[in-house]
Amino acid sequence: MAANQKFFEVIKPGIDLDFIGTQKYWIGTSITLLLVTFLMLPINAYVIKSRGHALNWGVDFRGGTEIVVDFSKPVDAGAIRAALEAKGFENPDVVKYGSAMERGSSNAFMIRLGAVSVMSPEQAKKVEVALARVGDAILKKFEFSEGGDKVYIRFDKAVDPTALAAALRVAGTNTTDKGVQQFGPPQDHTYEATLVGMESEVRAALDAKLGAGTVTSIPQVSSVGAKAGKELQLDGIRALLGAILLIVVYIAFRFDFRYGPGTIVALLHDALLTVGAFAITYKEFSLTTLAAILTIIGYSMSDTIVVFDRIRENASRYRDRAFDRVVNHAINETLSRTILTSATVFFVTLAMNIFGSGVIRDFAFAMNVGVIVGTYSSIFIASPILIWLNEKYVAAQKRQAARPARRPVRREEEEPVET
Amino acid sequence: MERSWWWKAVLYGCAVILACLYLVPTVVPEEKRPAFFKDHFTKRIQLGLDLQGGLHLVYEVNIDKAVSSKVDRLSNDIEDTIKKKTADVTVAREGRDDMVVSFKNPAGLANVDADLLKPYRHDLDEVSRDAAAGTVRLRYDPDRVAEVEELALRQAIETIRGRVDKFGVAEPTIIKKGTDIVVELPGLKQSDFERIKSIIGRTAQLEFKIVDDGTEYMKKLAASLPKEGPIKAEPETWTEKHSGAQHEDVFLRSKDRQGLEKFVAGLAGELAVPPDRELALEEISPRESGEAAPDKFYRTYLLKKRAGVTGEYLAMADATWDEMGRPEVSFTMNRQGSDMMEKLTGENVGRKMAIVLDDKITSAPVIESKIGERGRITMGGYGDPFKLQQEVKDLVAVLRSGALPAPLKKSFETQVGATMGQDSIDKAKFSMLIGAVAVVLFMLIYYRMAGFIANLAMVLNMLFMVAILAAFEASLTLPGIAGLVLTIGMAVDSNIIIYERIREELRQGKSPRTAVDAGFQRAFWTVFDAHVTNFVAGIVLYSYGSGPIRGFAVTLLVGIVSNLLTSVWISRWMFDLIVGRRGSVPVTLSI
Repeated sequence: MAANQKFFEVIKPGIDLDFIGTQKYWIGTSITLLLVTFLMLPINAYVIKSRGHALNWGVDFRGGTEIVVDFSKPVDAGAIRAALEAKGFENPDVVKYGSAMERGSSNAFMIRLGAVSVMSPEQAKKVEVALARVGDAILKKFEFSEGGDKVYIRFDKAVDPTALAAALRVAGTNTTDKGVQQFGPPQDHTYEATLVGMESEVRAALDAKLGAGTVTSIPQVSSVGAKAGKELQLDGIRALLGAILLIVVYIAFRFDFRYGPGTIVALLHDALLTVGAFAITYKEFSLTTLAAILTIIGYSMSDTIVVFDRIRENASRYRDRAFDRVVNHAINETLSRTILTSATVFFVTLAMNIFGSGVIRDFAFAMNVGVIVGTYSSIFIASPILIWLNEKYVAAQKRQAARPARRPVRREEEEPVET
Repeated sequence: MERSWWWKAVLYGCAVILACLYLVPTVVPEEKRPAFFKDHFTKRIQLGLDLQGGLHLVYEVNIDKAVSSKVDRLSNDIEDTIKKKTADVTVAREGRDDMVVSFKNPAGLANVDADLLKPYRHDLDEVSRDAAAGTVRLRYDPDRVAEVEELALRQAIETIRGRVDKFGVAEPTIIKKGTDIVVELPGLKQSDFERIKSIIGRTAQLEFKIVDDGTEYMKKLAASLPKEGPIKAEPETWTEKHSGAQHEDVFLRSKDRQGLEKFVAGLAGELAVPPDRELALEEISPRESGEAAPDKFYRTYLLKKRAGVTGEYLAMADATWDEMGRPEVSFTMNRQGSDMMEKLTGENVGRKMAIVLDDKITSAPVIESKIGERGRITMGGYGDPFKLQQEVKDLVAVLRSGALPAPLKKSFETQVGATMGQDSIDKAKFSMLIGAVAVVLFMLIYYRMAGFIANLAMVLNMLFMVAILAAFEASLTLPGIAGLVLTIGMAVDSNIIIYERIREELRQGKSPRTAVDAGFQRAFWTVFDAHVTNFVAGIVLYSYGSGPIRGFAVTLLVGIVSNLLTSVWISRWMFDLIVGRRGSVPVTLSI
């Protein structure tokens, strides 16, 4: 009665594309893309001079300081860079800030500096020399660890903290208000000096070169110590692998073990290719990007589940058919929902990518890439591996059956399919 | 209509009403809210630091610096002691933990015996002894390092809280995360960032100062107070245990610390604090502790400005019990410290000695007799024993870590100006709108009536999500908004999977009702599994991430749960309205 009902369809129900037969091309494409990803990392690091790192690590991973500066008038990125270099900041990274829509009108720039503290090791040496005598006290020890925001200075006799702060200022290093205090027992004559934040020095440097009042505001500053950054990188990789492992365990439990390896490869494939997109475009790879990759893994898996579910259903229904045909048929049957679900997420994240700002944009870009590779991998990566494993499994079962040993009891849906 | 449908209608209706109630505090400004909400629904979504503006700081306790300066001091101490016997000794420091004592004449090694090392038995271990070369290697005890770390962390949190409170930040968060201290100060003015950062980052100092009692100055000050003001003067007396001499003093008390601080800072002219004295505050909470305690107040002590002894001379502090079985703190000073302590306390028997951590008095016990190497601090008051026990523990932590000033090292910092946050919210809202409109239109065109149901389910999903976030008082961060937007895209996915299945069933010639039945039933596990994998990824994200990323993970997790509810059960219920009615089943389904 309702069999001839018409639907609005993008993918017609009778569709029968040969995905499995042409799998070598698709797998070839993936391998090529993965190779490009792996090649791109050393190329970024060593060949392309302007890049210099395998990935454009954000401050969260690289360590350093990121400062957004709003200017009162249009300023040239080169001039900003020159002003910062004049002040002694090494290799400042200066890019326009804001969404694609307002790039033209806004005067905001994002400045990225490798340093976390206003004092570089060379500067520290100069300051140490300058502090050799403060009043009649003689410097005994000058302790500064790179990237720290504090200096420990030891004298042979007591020094007035305000005098010490003044001496530091003369030496070219500013401390915060009440930034110098005694450290440890009084007869140690050791003082702790807290240095000013990067943003104050950056503002001073820019105002000095570009004219006072050019900097209207510094709406955002973030800094991460180099050691903490390294830890985050490791934690990130651990989290990624942990998530993949947990998902695979769940799949192995819900389906059976043959479905596991395909999903591992597919998820790694998605994560790596997303990283590859960041390697090629050299967009900033931050904590948010990593969050996006973790989301992509979860999302790509739901895509794979739709296909796998149908494969499992059809495998028990068409037991007389070859397994690879069953898989191909299942992919075709679920093709329209695979594409539609991906499309809705893709469009939403695309809107974020175009209209959002800051971290939202980075996140959306990663999602855009991830949704595409995630959909691709459920069809072209996870399924061929499943077929291959099933073949091995069936062969092993046959060998088992040839012997008069007891056959393991299995639920019907897990019955291997003859190839 | 089946009865169960009506039951569901009531259930879902209640859920929607409840969700709306939870949303009111977030959406309606406080002054327009009816009194009902002020009593029952006060929780609302907080804006995260990145949206509200503020300061997010992560500090690690610089144990290396603390340990290394402690070992420096120990090595000086040991060198001095041996030099009293023989000049032929050098003590070299190696690495963070080690010191090597060496003698040109190997026979000198005999000087480093159990007797010499006894005072250091808690701190130093002998690692190796080379009789031929005349060297012995001593190492700072690893257990002490771990202990220092824990205590320093506790003390640092305590001091940071005190410093931040002084600044009057509205809702500060100061928590321990692993070995880090996370400080979040929302809604702070940007001009204050630099100042508060420098105040927080400073190393805490522990000092012992003598309380100057019975002064003319305090009497004068007390007399000058207005009768009905918030600050009151109060006399106190105590008797010396041994001599029986009476001590009389006057102090100021107030419930409002900032008011009292302002008053003290404003003293000038006749009433100015003498230059060698200072007025410090102690928080007194006779019964309960915590902000809500009704009878908590602050009192002053007039202290001699110069610290008699500082925390660095402390060797050990422990929680013990006095003869009456009351908890007390016992402490041991190192060699140098015990001389100083003896002098200080010997001159001031009967007076009070304030233990000052970071300019705040933690406790001010009466000196009952001269204290040498060992001293005891009896806790006053008759509070309940558990609380007393807790106080003793806190004081021990302060004393022990005070013996080793551990500087704080900043490892993360994010500061966001308030305008930045608003701008981000506006842009995020716009992109959310665009994305939502695109999805809604697509669903309507593609699935018509069923698309409408899916859209309705999506709206409900959003409603539930935001309500749950409000009920948990979650903070909404920028990545959190991204999570919300993403959920719009994902919310309809489950419906697409179900609808495609229903279409398949319809194509096989099934009636709308059986097709809907089969579609929902067969697609359920697919949808469920998909949600679980997303949920797993979300949980990993939550445990890995910090700050804003956590905000994202929370919205994602909440979204997944409420999505399962709306897109599977509630939309099924709406379908029942179309196909479930007995007798009038439509021939075609608008899907």
